[in-house]
Amino acid sequence: MNFRLRLALLFVTTLVAVQAFTALLAYGVARRALIADGERQLAVGATAVARQLDDISARVADNVQVLSLDFALRAAIAQNDQSTVLSALRNHGRRIGAERMLLVGLDGMVRSDTAAPAGETFPFPDLAEAALDHPAAAVVAIGGKAYWMIVVPVYAPKPIALIAAGIPVDDALLAHLQKSSALPNSLELVTLGGDGRWADIARGDNRVEIAPALAGRELPLHPTLMQLDAREYVVLATRLRESERSAPVAAMLGYSLDDALRQYRPVAVAWASLVALGLAIGLAGALLIARGVARPIEKLAAAAHRIGAGDYAPAAASGKRDEVGQLAAALSNMTLAIAEREERIRYQAEHDAVTALPNRHAAEAAIRQALLARPEAGALLMVGLARLPEVIQTMGHTISDRFMHDAGMRLRPFAQRGIVARATDTQFAVWLDGADKAEAIAIAFRILDVLGVPYQEADLSIDTAPAIGIALHPVHGDEAGALLRRAEVALFAALGAEDPVAVYDAGTDPHRPERLTLMSELREALDRNQLRLHYQPKLRLADERIDGAEALLRWQHPLRGAIPPDAFIPLAERTGNIRRVTRWVLASAIAQAHEWAARGHELRIAINLSARDLDDADLPTRVADLLSLHAVAPRTIVLELTESAVMGEPDTAVQVLKRLADLGIDLAIDDFGIGQSSLAYLRRLPVREIKIDRFFTQKLGEDVGDRTLVRSIVELGHRLGYRVTAEGIETRAAFEYLREVGCDHVQGYYIATALEPDALEAMLGRDESAAARGVRA
Amino acid sequence: MRVGLPAMAAWVCVSSVTTAGELDVVVVDLHGAPATDAVVSVHGRGAPPAREAVTRAIDQHDETFIPYVEVFRPGDRVVFHNSDRTRHHVYSFAPAKSFEFVIAPGGETPPVVLDRTGEIAVGCNIHDRMITHLYVSDAPWIAKSDARGRAVFDALPAGRYTVSVWHPQLRPGKAEPEQAIDVGGEAASLRFSLPLLADPRPDPDDRERTRY
Repeated sequence: MNFRLRLALLFVTTLVAVQAFTALLAYGVARRALIADGERQLAVGATAVARQLDDISARVADNVQVLSLDFALRAAIAQNDQSTVLSALRNHGRRIGAERMLLVGLDGMVRSDTAAPAGETFPFPDLAEAALDHPAAAVVAIGGKAYWMIVVPVYAPKPIALIAAGIPVDDALLAHLQKSSALPNSLELVTLGGDGRWADIARGDNRVEIAPALAGRELPLHPTLMQLDAREYVVLATRLRESERSAPVAAMLGYSLDDALRQYRPVAVAWASLVALGLAIGLAGALLIARGVARPIEKLAAAAHRIGAGDYAPAAASGKRDEVGQLAAALSNMTLAIAEREERIRYQAEHDAVTALPNRHAAEAAIRQALLARPEAGALLMVGLARLPEVIQTMGHTISDRFMHDAGMRLRPFAQRGIVARATDTQFAVWLDGADKAEAIAIAFRILDVLGVPYQEADLSIDTAPAIGIALHPVHGDEAGALLRRAEVALFAALGAEDPVAVYDAGTDPHRPERLTLMSELREALDRNQLRLHYQPKLRLADERIDGAEALLRWQHPLRGAIPPDAFIPLAERTGNIRRVTRWVLASAIAQAHEWAARGHELRIAINLSARDLDDADLPTRVADLLSLHAVAPRTIVLELTESAVMGEPDTAVQVLKRLADLGIDLAIDDFGIGQSSLAYLRRLPVREIKIDRFFTQKLGEDVGDRTLVRSIVELGHRLGYRVTAEGIETRAAFEYLREVGCDHVQGYYIATALEPDALEAMLGRDESAAARGVRA
Repeated sequence: MRVGLPAMAAWVCVSSVTTAGELDVVVVDLHGAPATDAVVSVHGRGAPPAREAVTRAIDQHDETFIPYVEVFRPGDRVVFHNSDRTRHHVYSFAPAKSFEFVIAPGGETPPVVLDRTGEIAVGCNIHDRMITHLYVSDAPWIAKSDARGRAVFDALPAGRYTVSVWHPQLRPGKAEPEQAIDVGGEAASLRFSLPLLADPRPDPDDRERTRY
């Protein structure tokens, strides 16, 4: 439900609710007022009915009294002249409108009766008794009819008898009463029948009958609300003057609420029409207002969406001064403020605060744009200020910032050719649109000239010592990031060289990306078992038998071919992959040792460890596990470490070495002599063997110095209790000399290159047969 | 005793020779107001000596019979005088005596002999409110109550008596109230409370008779 509908609905519901409530209230008030009015009217009416009936009785009584004084009648009564009396009674009865006339003796016996035989007891002795004091009258029910029974004495001159006159109280009389006075619209006389129910004996000009509604209830002597013929009436009963002996007679007065309400019907109709009209107008007005309110709000919502999407075009002013107008104005202001702030943030994000030049990020984007615009050529110059870290350390950031600001100002003119940006704290990047190598170098030298002038400040003069690396598009890269990196590489080359300008050279780039992919491929190779171990035999000079071999790692890359260990081992060490390599080598070599031992070859397998492996406290456990797994004797294994690997290592590494030695494994120092070995330190390690580096053995045939050195090493090694192995033996002269000085083992091309396990095994077979023949090849 | 009756004086002389008691009768209405003109009859042992028949006059003055009640002995006579300047049509339908006279102003009727006991209500056919009562009785002792409702009988021979009261406004058709009493050395007294109808005579203050 949208706002408009809700607002309209609220209007309408409120209107309807208020009107309904008012109508109910008005109806309730009118009804209560009418009921009260009815009650009042009934009370007045009841009194009026009683009074009018009394008036009638008084008038009739007077008339009867006058008749009773008729001398002839009195004479007839006194002389008991029955027929005269009866005829006179009839005559007088007609005069006064009585339906029945009786002469009652003072003894209560009826002496004459115009409607019935005489001789009965007068049925209303209380009236006869009271008549001597005053004219007595009561409304009595006789035979389903109501009569005013009026009794007066006959004086002659003292009372000698009573005359009773029965005046019918009939429908006509009641109707006459109703008409001649402002009586309520229903008038009825009821009497209590023998069956205990009230029955009507006379009715006025009524629409409804009240008597049936009285069944089972008390006579309503107070105004009471009743349903008569499915209509609401206020009903009041009033007891009439009664005779003790007659059944009770009451006058029932009814006041029709419906009739009373009828006069209000036109008002109600007018009211309903007004409500309907008001509803229509209110609904239309509510919709109009809702539209007036909702329209601008919907517009504002659209504007807010637009702003959210980044469109800061000012929203159309509503021109109104109401709340919505204020909101629109505020939104408009906010839009401007956001645009301004975003502009500032973008500027800050893209510019260096010190030099006000674009930063590296912005430069990269700008170069990307420039490359799109002119893809044929371009040069990126990375200008480095080598002295800057020094400046910061000695002068502080304030001065270094001013220094950089000055440098930026000097470089700024070159922006004409493209872009000048601050790439890092110490570097500026200068992009030259469409420049070739020659032009780039030329401009580089101009930049050097500009920056070569020392920075002057008060009594301070700072030599900037600039250098420039150049990367060319598209030769060195066709993408901004790569160009930036390569220009930086070139800059590093320039910083360390004589020449302060260097062009990028892929060959000297240690950060070529393919090196990183090599490591992932190495991990893959380990998983796919693409690595192989080759074994270079070690010859024991004492009996010229091959009794050992050094395991050497070979990687046959499916695309690149054989990759030399030098190309990936150092990298693996730096990237933390070396442990996995070592793990694989150990497992592979020990398995091989087991195989050979099983076939009767006595070979000690030398395995190379890396310095990084010594950080691994689990290494001795793993080696022991492998040995026991393959049932290989520990002395079958020699672990080789380079001099640099063991020198100056912390105690943990020494602990690892000792635990390996405790297993019964011999440790050897590889490449002995070229590192900075401390013999004193070496003595603390559980080393059993040293291997003389090929650096000393390759020229052993001719170089006297080397010969002396090697002899000394062998002697020293033996004196210290080490076995001595010479590596890199390529000539017979070297081989002979080594035998002469008593070296224990030799290893090198002169003996054999590194061989696949099968080849080595084949060689062992030949060797053994040759040995058996006593011949050396 | 408002009215000194000759008969009473004769009876006093006789009673003085015997031992006598006094009877004091008070008649009131139900409100306790004194009932004037009540006729108190006393019956008992013996009787005073009888007297000569007399003629009594009932005057009509200001459309009123005077007196309102008169006691007669059987054989007494009554004469009606008209002292008004209007005619009066005097009548009675009473069983004891019925008559009818038209009396011219200043005129009078011939004496009417009342030979039977009983109450004779006499009215005027011209003037409805005029009424007088002739009470003809042979009771041995009889007296009319005075303005205070009292009737005193002295020198009654000691003995037991029956006392009855009649009043013109007693409700018709009812027996006269009656009480028995012993009269002896001490003074005896009786009190009658009677239910009385309204006095039919016009109010003497209502000179103009405005009711009509």
